[in-house]
Amino acid sequence: MTTSELLRYAGWFALALLALAGAAILSYWAPWYFAWVVGTVMIILITAFAGALYERQAREQGAHGEDPLK
Amino acid sequence: MEPTQLVVDLSRWQFAITVLYHFLFVPLTIGLAVLIAAIETVYVVTGREIFRDMAKFWGKLFLINFALGVATGLTMEFQFGTNWSFYSYFVGDVFGAPLAIEGLMAFFLESTFVGLMFFGWDRLSRGKHLFVTYMVALGSNLSALWILIANGFMQAPSGARLDPFTMRLQLSSFANLIFNPDAQTKFVHTTAASYVLAAVFVCAVSAWYLLRKRHVELARRSFRMAAIFGLFASLAVITLGDASGFKDVGVQPPKIAAMEAMWHTEKAPAGLNLIAFPSSREQKNLWSLSVPWIGGMMLTHAFDKPIPGVFELEAQARRRIYNGIPALLALERLQKTPGDNRALTTFRQHEKDIGYAFLLQRYAPNVAKATPAQVERAARKTIPSVPVVFWAFHLMVYFGFTMLAFFVLATMFSLMRSEYRRRWFLRLSLWLLVLPYLTVELGWITAEMGRQPWTVYGILPTWLSASTHSVAYMIFSLAGFIGLYTVFIVIEIYLMRRAIIEGPATAPGKDDNTQALPTFVLKGGSA
Repeated sequence: MTTSELLRYAGWFALALLALAGAAILSYWAPWYFAWVVGTVMIILITAFAGALYERQAREQGAHGEDPLK
Repeated sequence: MEPTQLVVDLSRWQFAITVLYHFLFVPLTIGLAVLIAAIETVYVVTGREIFRDMAKFWGKLFLINFALGVATGLTMEFQFGTNWSFYSYFVGDVFGAPLAIEGLMAFFLESTFVGLMFFGWDRLSRGKHLFVTYMVALGSNLSALWILIANGFMQAPSGARLDPFTMRLQLSSFANLIFNPDAQTKFVHTTAASYVLAAVFVCAVSAWYLLRKRHVELARRSFRMAAIFGLFASLAVITLGDASGFKDVGVQPPKIAAMEAMWHTEKAPAGLNLIAFPSSREQKNLWSLSVPWIGGMMLTHAFDKPIPGVFELEAQARRRIYNGIPALLALERLQKTPGDNRALTTFRQHEKDIGYAFLLQRYAPNVAKATPAQVERAARKTIPSVPVVFWAFHLMVYFGFTMLAFFVLATMFSLMRSEYRRRWFLRLSLWLLVLPYLTVELGWITAEMGRQPWTVYGILPTWLSASTHSVAYMIFSLAGFIGLYTVFIVIEIYLMRRAIIEGPATAPGKDDNTQALPTFVLKGGSA
């Protein structure tokens, strides 16, 4: 492992620690703000997953010779 | 000089109308920005150009709405100074900070990145543009945050104390102001409701395209993503609605009593009025359909906690009025003699109820000589309009659950890839567009009418907050606002309609499958 890689990992690790500390503080002082941060990120990820799933379903339907618009 | 009741009422109407107009634009800005961020995320991850077209198309509609939302929002902050001068003086030290932060941080953040989002498609890398889109979403949500922190203070004052020498509320804890539980639940409830509105909007426009067999690929993907987005957002709205109710039982019991049309304190757990026709004049429900136990369990999250009814709350208000009178008299003495330590001590002992003495002043200018009838009248005024709050709240809830049911079906049909064939459902999606707009407006009516007769709950009555304008001035400015804002709405509808009819800017035949559709589909598919 090179020094630059090590520094990059250390940087990501520090960022993760900072995020955890922020989450701990926010969840203690402001549980609903914390819920909003987590909930909105989750909703975005699930929505993005639903979009990606559409692509997969359309591809599979196309592979089976079905009309993708049906 | 005091404002007349008519001027106070007209000031309230003016603010209510401008807010309700403004809030026709705001939730779409908040929700659509987040949905566009999700769409663009798929584009960056999959590299599929159609998601770029989707993000650009919905971004165009976002921009139209954003511009008009800003135009309608500017006047409201001016109204604090023009129509609510004593309110501005009284809470300016507290209220100024969140509003300034909203303007400086959130609004500038949003506005700067909106430009980059709209014009940066061919100038920024995918990753950088995605970052910009997320910043727009964050900025629009943070704008709401600071406004709702200010509103949360009005609903449940926290982090400030009345200075008897200046007659102003002074900020004592900025942390208490921004972490106010009322502001927290209100923020998450409002933003989640905005996500729901944006999801219904995207579903409706997509359904319109699908019914006309235009931009089918784009519309189906948009419908899918909006359905899932709306489903989870609806669940969040309902969860936070429950949290708001649970919190308000302790903070604003008169609002809860009005929301539930509960005149008497029932034995725990209280019932839930599904339908009721309350009469404020007779102080009873003329007719009601109730379910036992459910109301108490929902609102208190317990089986043994009672919910105070209107009559008990009026009795509590009477006690608080009598307790607030010495504070007001001490305040008057301190205004004349700032060094009067005895008056200061009396003031501190009774200051938590001084707002109730301010309220009494409306009916008894000399509170020291207030009659029991005047106290009784003031006590009755501490209860908001039960019929208005009850119906605004109940319709909001019923509409909210209707949208949840819609999103369950929309998600199911989209996952089964059958929404395109269910033309009845597409028509329903289109017609449902009006519902989230009604729901968010009803939500604000519940929150603000339920807080009456206060501008700052328990501290500053509405009658004392208004400016002393003439009736003619108020009528003229009210008519001006209605006329101007109606023009804004007409412009919004015209621009939106034109952008939707034009559709997304895709190359002919590329991802616009109108031409590629099989003939049986073009003739109209059936379920």
